[in-house]
Amino acid sequence: MYILNNALANVWRHKGRNALLGAIILVVIAASVVALMISSTATSIIDDYKERFSAEVTFVPDMEKVREEAMAESEDGMVRMVMPTIDADQYLAFGESEHLADADFTASTGVVPEDLTPVAADLGGGSGMMTMGGGGPGESMFESEPMSFTASLQGNKLAEFDDGSRALAEGEMPDADGEALVSTELAELNDLSVGDTLHLAGELRNIDEGALESIEYDVTVVGTYDDLTDEYGTSPQQNAFTNRRNEILTTYDTVLSNYVAGMQGMQVAATFYLEDPDLLDAFTEEVRAEGLPDVFDVTTDSATYNAIVGPVEGLKSVSVTFMIVVLVFGGVIIALLSSIAIRERKYEIGVLRAMGMKKSAVGLGLWSEILAVTAACMLLGLAVGSLVAQPVTDVLLAGQIQAAEEAAAAAEAQGTGGGMGMQMGPMGGANQADPDAEPLADLAVALTPGTVGQIAAVSLGLATLAGLTSLGRITRYEPIKILSERN
Amino acid sequence: MTSTLTLDRVTYRYDGTKKNVLRGISAAFEPGKVYTIVGKSGSGKSTLLSLIAGLDVVDGGQILFDGDDMRTLDRDAYRARGIGVIFQGFNLLTTATAVQNIVLSMNISGSRVKHKKQHAYDLLAGVGIDRETAGRPVLKLSGGEQQRVGIARALSHDPRIIIADEPTGNLDQATEDEILRIFTGLAHEEGRCVIIVTHSRRVTAVADEVLGITAGRLGVVKKDQGPPRKAAVSGGPS
Ligand SMILES: Nc1ncnc2c1ncn2[C@@H]1O[C@H](COP(=O)(O)OP(=O)(O)OP(=O)(O)O)[C@@H](O)[C@H]1O
Ligand SMILES: [Mg+2]
Repeated sequence: MYILNNALANVWRHKGRNALLGAIILVVIAASVVALMISSTATSIIDDYKERFSAEVTFVPDMEKVREEAMAESEDGMVRMVMPTIDADQYLAFGESEHLADADFTASTGVVPEDLTPVAADLGGGSGMMTMGGGGPGESMFESEPMSFTASLQGNKLAEFDDGSRALAEGEMPDADGEALVSTELAELNDLSVGDTLHLAGELRNIDEGALESIEYDVTVVGTYDDLTDEYGTSPQQNAFTNRRNEILTTYDTVLSNYVAGMQGMQVAATFYLEDPDLLDAFTEEVRAEGLPDVFDVTTDSATYNAIVGPVEGLKSVSVTFMIVVLVFGGVIIALLSSIAIRERKYEIGVLRAMGMKKSAVGLGLWSEILAVTAACMLLGLAVGSLVAQPVTDVLLAGQIQAAEEAAAAAEAQGTGGGMGMQMGPMGGANQADPDAEPLADLAVALTPGTVGQIAAVSLGLATLAGLTSLGRITRYEPIKILSERN
Repeated sequence: MTSTLTLDRVTYRYDGTKKNVLRGISAAFEPGKVYTIVGKSGSGKSTLLSLIAGLDVVDGGQILFDGDDMRTLDRDAYRARGIGVIFQGFNLLTTATAVQNIVLSMNISGSRVKHKKQHAYDLLAGVGIDRETAGRPVLKLSGGEQQRVGIARALSHDPRIIIADEPTGNLDQATEDEILRIFTGLAHEEGRCVIIVTHSRRVTAVADEVLGITAGRLGVVKKDQGPPRKAAVSGGPS
């Protein structure tokens, strides 16, 4: 205990030397505080954006390849480009990947509702089903029953309820198996109300094998929805099937309850979210093995991500580099200073040793003294650092954004980048940044407990560095030499 | 009577020098006696005391403390508890106060005295240092005052051997007499072994034995001609 007391007293006794050492430690710590605050805030923002952007996987058909394939297959010189599709089986298989954090599945199938009059019945409705429902050209299954119409039974296709173009009018959202929503128009037209049951019939088939399988659904209406979407959406055909007011919305599991592997007629789609954006390659390899056609590119939205987060990433690496430089230079200066300080305090050490103090005790005392100085510098450094961190961040981030803009402008001037995206159309634009993507211009840095912990570690490291330098000298001092030299 | 400290043909040479400063010194120091060592400047008196103080080890021969070779002894502990040293150059912590120096010495020795600070003030008062002076950094004390602080420090951990290098060199006669009374008391009344390097006749006059150092060898100059000594009462050889 007396060693500690003496060390604390020494902080004051050698105030000049300690102030000098402390000033340098303070600068190093304050700089580290700023750097760590920036880097930890940047890291959490980057992680957040990574989760939002680059973890979402999309399968984008490469139109270039689609055209090449179509041209290769063409026999009569007519190039028929067919949009490639991914089978339900494959989607389900992809969803098994262990690299995924999450998967949002949707499913749909064409069904003929018993005793229902569709919205826009006058436009007819059976014929559209085949193209929409099966992807295979050919005959309609329901030609024999001209009065029936085909509706789209959609499982978990609820995105429009999020963006507000559809809203629950009555009842509740489908949750359990067999629960369904119908549009207010369809309900009105058929006098449907909550609690009514709809009987739906459909068919799955395998064209190659000529197999057919009838499927049936009994769904209970649990609510109605107001539909503000464009009635026919992007569909080029306008009939009862494509009319969106005729869509019956249910759960994914309900639609899938009639799923038969290898049969067509049920569409499954999925949005996959990777555990980590870095797993993209591994995931791609996996889905290729599962049979994803080569015409599909597996991508994440990295360009938009880079446009938004790039400057923050730049800022982070600048701050980390800066901190490393400060730590290295600061460390060298601290080591030199404490080495000089110890040489000047040789006599004191000789006296302590002559009084019978062990080398280890002398070293512990010196280390405690440095530790006390460092602790004071740490508190001061945290205060100073967190005061200047925000203005420093603002200046540095502005610099990064400007640099990114200049780089982008330079790239555009060289003609790289822009052109390709135009040719490939909106689908090929996955590697192009969303033009609306604004870089993050505000970074609110904050001092987190984690950062304080890191600063404490840095401080301890600095104190130990100084302490070890001192200790290295002490061991070379023999009291008789020190004292006789002085006498 | 067994000697506390025995020197047996001790030789010593400073690193980087060619000549041995000490060339075969033999002596026995017993408890309850005051010894003085005299010799020309540069004859090796301080060097000999440094070896006795355990600040370094001999090159040849041996020094025994209670029969144990100093080379194998825990010399840190020996310096902290076994011996009290008053250095020619005082060797005090100059930025610390007089009283802090003494409390620190007591702490290093592991002293079990309860009120260390009070004890330090008492020791300082014993060598004529008042409280105000005791609270000043050593740097701001006169040479004589520093010397007296050094003496108080040497006594602070109650050592069985006390060695002093010119302890009265900076003192006036009255103070010198007072200090000598303390030294003789420590030896004759408390049974400690006191070894003093000196040029002063007043000091040699009180010594039980005077040893002279010449050409790196030690010889007896005077034996048992000091004032009649009393029997040792405490701290004698065990
Ligand atoms: N650290 C050292 N390195 C080399 N030689 C030394 C060292 N210290 C002392 N000496 C030499 O050793 C010899 C003895 O020195 P020492 O200090 O023991 O003399 P002293 O008898 O105490 O003299 P004084 O009466 O002046 O104090 C001297 O010649 C001195 O120059
Ligand atoms: Mg001397």
